[in-house]
Amino acid sequence: MKKALVATFALAALVAIALVSGRAAAAPAATQDASLTGTGSSFVFPLVSKWIPAVGQAYGINLTYSLTGSGAGIAGVTARTVDFGASDAPLSADQLTACKSCVVIPWALSATSIPYNVPGLGGRLRIDGATLSNIYLGKITNWNDAAIKKLNPKLSLPNLKITPVFRSDSSGTTYNFTEYLSSVSSEFRSKVGNNTAVNFPTGVGARGSAGVAGVVSKTEGALTYVDVAYSLTNHFTFAAIKNRAGAYALPGLRGIKQAVSQLPKKVTSLSQLKIVDPPKSAGKQAYPISTFTYVIVPTNSKSAGDVRKLVYWAVTQGQQFGPPLLFQPLPVTVQAFAYREIKKIQGV
Amino acid sequence: MSTIDDSAAPGAGLAGTGLERRGLRLGDTLFRGVALAASAGSAFLLGWIAFKVLDLAWPSIEEFGLSFIWTDAWDPVTEQFGALAFVYGTALTSAIALVLAVPISIGIALFLTELAPRRVAAPIATMVELLAAIPSVVLGLWGILVFGPWVAQHLEPFLQNYLGFLPIFSGSPSQAGILPAALVLTIMIVPIASAICRELFLRVPRDLTDGALALGSTRWESIRGVTLAYAAPGIAAAVLLGLGRAFGEAIAVTQVIGGGNSINVSWFATGDTLASRIASQYQGATSQLQAGSILYLAAILMAISLVTNVVAQVIVRRFEKARRAA
Amino acid sequence: MSTVAETIDPYDITLRSNGLRRRRITEKLMGVLAIGSALAAVGILALVLGTVIYKGIDALDADFFTQPRPLFGAEGGIADALVGSALIVAMCVIFAVPVAVLVAIYMAEYASPRVSVFLRIVLDVLNGVPAIVVGIFIFGILVVGHGQSAIFGALALAILMLPMVARATQEVLEVIPRSLREASLALGVTKWRTTTSIVLPAAVGGILTGVVIAVARVAGETAPLLFTSSIAANQVSTDVFHALPTLPVAIFTFADSADPADQARGWAAALVLIVFVLVTNILAKVFSRGRTGH
Repeated sequence: MKKALVATFALAALVAIALVSGRAAAAPAATQDASLTGTGSSFVFPLVSKWIPAVGQAYGINLTYSLTGSGAGIAGVTARTVDFGASDAPLSADQLTACKSCVVIPWALSATSIPYNVPGLGGRLRIDGATLSNIYLGKITNWNDAAIKKLNPKLSLPNLKITPVFRSDSSGTTYNFTEYLSSVSSEFRSKVGNNTAVNFPTGVGARGSAGVAGVVSKTEGALTYVDVAYSLTNHFTFAAIKNRAGAYALPGLRGIKQAVSQLPKKVTSLSQLKIVDPPKSAGKQAYPISTFTYVIVPTNSKSAGDVRKLVYWAVTQGQQFGPPLLFQPLPVTVQAFAYREIKKIQGV
Repeated sequence: MSTIDDSAAPGAGLAGTGLERRGLRLGDTLFRGVALAASAGSAFLLGWIAFKVLDLAWPSIEEFGLSFIWTDAWDPVTEQFGALAFVYGTALTSAIALVLAVPISIGIALFLTELAPRRVAAPIATMVELLAAIPSVVLGLWGILVFGPWVAQHLEPFLQNYLGFLPIFSGSPSQAGILPAALVLTIMIVPIASAICRELFLRVPRDLTDGALALGSTRWESIRGVTLAYAAPGIAAAVLLGLGRAFGEAIAVTQVIGGGNSINVSWFATGDTLASRIASQYQGATSQLQAGSILYLAAILMAISLVTNVVAQVIVRRFEKARRAA
Repeated sequence: MSTVAETIDPYDITLRSNGLRRRRITEKLMGVLAIGSALAAVGILALVLGTVIYKGIDALDADFFTQPRPLFGAEGGIADALVGSALIVAMCVIFAVPVAVLVAIYMAEYASPRVSVFLRIVLDVLNGVPAIVVGIFIFGILVVGHGQSAIFGALALAILMLPMVARATQEVLEVIPRSLREASLALGVTKWRTTTSIVLPAAVGGILTGVVIAVARVAGETAPLLFTSSIAANQVSTDVFHALPTLPVAIFTFADSADPADQARGWAAALVLIVFVLVTNILAKVFSRGRTGH
């Protein structure tokens, strides 16, 4: 009799464990209590942080977002370990296929700043694309190099080694930065290329926007590329970049706004959203390293309905949270494009 | 290990009397079955892990074959991947850590067993154990914020001043690189290795050391000639176990090594190890080939760990066999 | 320290030979090196602990323990990470310990010597699998397609805990005298009853010590959790079917930040983790010493 009891107990325990693990495995990332999980770009994190409480109030959606880098955002949504991925780099054709019917929607617009840590300069650093490429190619190694002196005759450049810092994780900011350098330097394009993770020939790697910002703040002579919201929050000085109009532009709202002023009247594909190194007609203050940042959503998943609400809110009301963090509200043409893409997100 | 002879099983003594309580066998069989299932499950789990790693690495194994191991490349843009830079990084950081950790560990163990009076030895032994208990993420935090900058501002310039003619100390000091990572690994290996060495030294038979002393050797000579020689296989095993720990350490290393892509002679340069690269890039792998290549690194890491582990165990087993035969 | 040499006739001319002096110097030198090594170890421990305490103590206020991790540019604490870590470690113990004890029982009581050796090797190899590989394994078989969850994190940690507890249990079981089992069997108790009611209770102290030590090790593991429970909401939650924030991953993230407030939180969180690990280790020691009556 007792053994029968014990045997039943053991069986019941086994069944319970099986049920629990089964439910854990079967539970989708979004449950019926409207909670969404997303990951990816650290670029957009400051803005998403502001959205989390607001979206909770507007729709009762419990939004969770963590930064892992754009690459991880793409990988995460492809593997369906999260409900949506955020990336500053649009998907390549291969990645789009691998994602299996995902849409890529631009939902914020900002710029990549170039902060540096050089004491005693006596003014803001001015730099152009060619010099920046050469620094990251390892051809310019000291702050008192002639090329930098030429652009900054009024500054006192010290004899200090340059430490270029790059993102060691898969990053959309790297994509944006290398996109710019590849378009202004053919040597950079052939030697390093344009991707979320590239083989930088020199420099120190660090994880995340926070990581590169951390290294720069601790290392004299360091410079890096990081979204402007991080530069602002950490009180970094960032460089003014020479644009095609011959003037030196800063990554402020006006600089970003001018950078996107040359978009076509009707945006029909993502490839038209490349805004680095804008043409002369964009304006004297157009900042050359601006970028859209995207949300990647599977068109048919259990959480599609909630994600649809989230993205729609983000590209409309969400934009108002942008300016204090130096996110320029989306231009109307891009908003229209976003609406068309959002419609593709069906419910299950 | 004891296996109880089943002839002592309940009811056996009553065999033939018709009073065997067959019902009791059910409990025994069930229990044994459950224990067996747990054991088989553990063995199966190990196999499953190995299988899954190879399975996930397959796209890269297929594409690059064995030459992946000695190819120096890591370019996600052109989809060229090779493990050499990370094998080099793993080997170099572990080697530096071992060369530093082994003498220090032996020194600590000798201090605790031979030199220190008991009242001093016990708290110091506890403190060394506590060093082992510090989680690697805390060591990494300390490494990024305190140790790395100190290495860059004081240690590396010092080494460059006096030994700068050596190519390994060339280049400019950096707070993230091979040297800080190797030093952090040393801090992680020392407690484990010294604990094992201490156990070994305590087991050396007194009469052997006394004999050496009686023949006129100094304390140190008896230690060198008898204790260390006697414990040598065990020390080798301790070294290998420490090595295994160093190979697999991902978190603390990735925080201080700087994520470099190439092989550099200088120890001040950034680099990467197998475990550290896996930690920093796996989640962000944007193509099947890159994800597969990172898993290929994991497969190499597992193979290296396995070999080190097995060799350590073989040494220990042979050591024990020889001891028993003596 | 009295060597035999010191009782030799002091008028013996060999004492004045260079050979013995050199050997004495070597001996003193080695002694200094040994003391130096021990001091270095103690010094590093003091340095690391001291830094953690010094930098972390200021951030330890009531808010730190009651507020969840902050969003970008806000204030916060580690309350959600503490809850998450506690839940995950608790689940890990529930998953790992029964299986580990069963494996140890099988090895000690039922298996033939060859199978026992085989299982010992399996456990040792499992122990040597790097934590990051275990994390990738669980990610590959469970997280892909289903999302992260605290349960998956606990499973990954359980794989790390299993060999430790199994080995500790096996060693304890072997120490228990055979006569205990044989007496029980001779009285007609079934084998499984013997094991569960006689042997295991005698072993409980040692098993508990092993579990406590394993918990101290596993509570600080970061790598497996990075892949299984790292994307979690910045609020205190007990929903184990979703990812929960954990202390080690929080420290890992804080460490990278350029924001001094984040770094201070990192130090404070490290202090909490170290205190937990140290207290657990000391508890295990006290417990085992009490048991063996030292």
